[in-house]
Amino acid sequence: MSDPTPLSVIAFPDGLPGFETCHRFVLVHPPGLGPFTIVQHADGPLPAFVTIDPLDVHGGYRTELTDADRARLGAAGETPLLWLAMVSTRDDGKPTVNLRAPLVINPATMTGLQVISAESPYSLAHPLRAA
Amino acid sequence: MLVFTRKRGEAIVIGDGIEVTVLRVGRAGVRLGVAAAPHVPVHRAEVYAAIRAANAEAAADAQSLPALLARLRDDG
Repeated sequence: MSDPTPLSVIAFPDGLPGFETCHRFVLVHPPGLGPFTIVQHADGPLPAFVTIDPLDVHGGYRTELTDADRARLGAAGETPLLWLAMVSTRDDGKPTVNLRAPLVINPATMTGLQVISAESPYSLAHPLRAA
Repeated sequence: MLVFTRKRGEAIVIGDGIEVTVLRVGRAGVRLGVAAAPHVPVHRAEVYAAIRAANAEAAADAQSLPALLARLRDDG
């Protein structure tokens, strides 16, 4: 245990919009959670996000990364990446998924970012389940 | 807020080498070019704000996660 940084901590150098000072997150996938993965701030109880593989929500889902985003992740063209879309649970309605601005993580570098693109065919609030 | 008057082709420099150039001025809008190091994120403000709002809505406290997940399961 000479390394003070556990390997399971993922660095988000730019933080997330609204949470710009949160630079370290861990993925939690307890048993019985179904398709969901928790993305939890490593340095405090807030924020934690319920996320899901966008392909589980929208078949054929595909978002292209810019060269700048690839460079931030240290990802070459063929590097397998982990995509996670945030689930929003509303008190007054059906849960929705942010397919427009997914989290993308490069497991090889343990670096992640949230995709912020001006052009996207996907919604910030896609229904989690078809009506 | 600092306010500048710039003509087409003129620029301002922000901090350590971020340069914003006025490329075109039209009736409907102003076209800007931003030159910055690759690690400097540059976004349209309204896009960033919309994602910030979505994140705030999706963010949960770790303590509230079990109830939240139970609700997601029940909805299914």
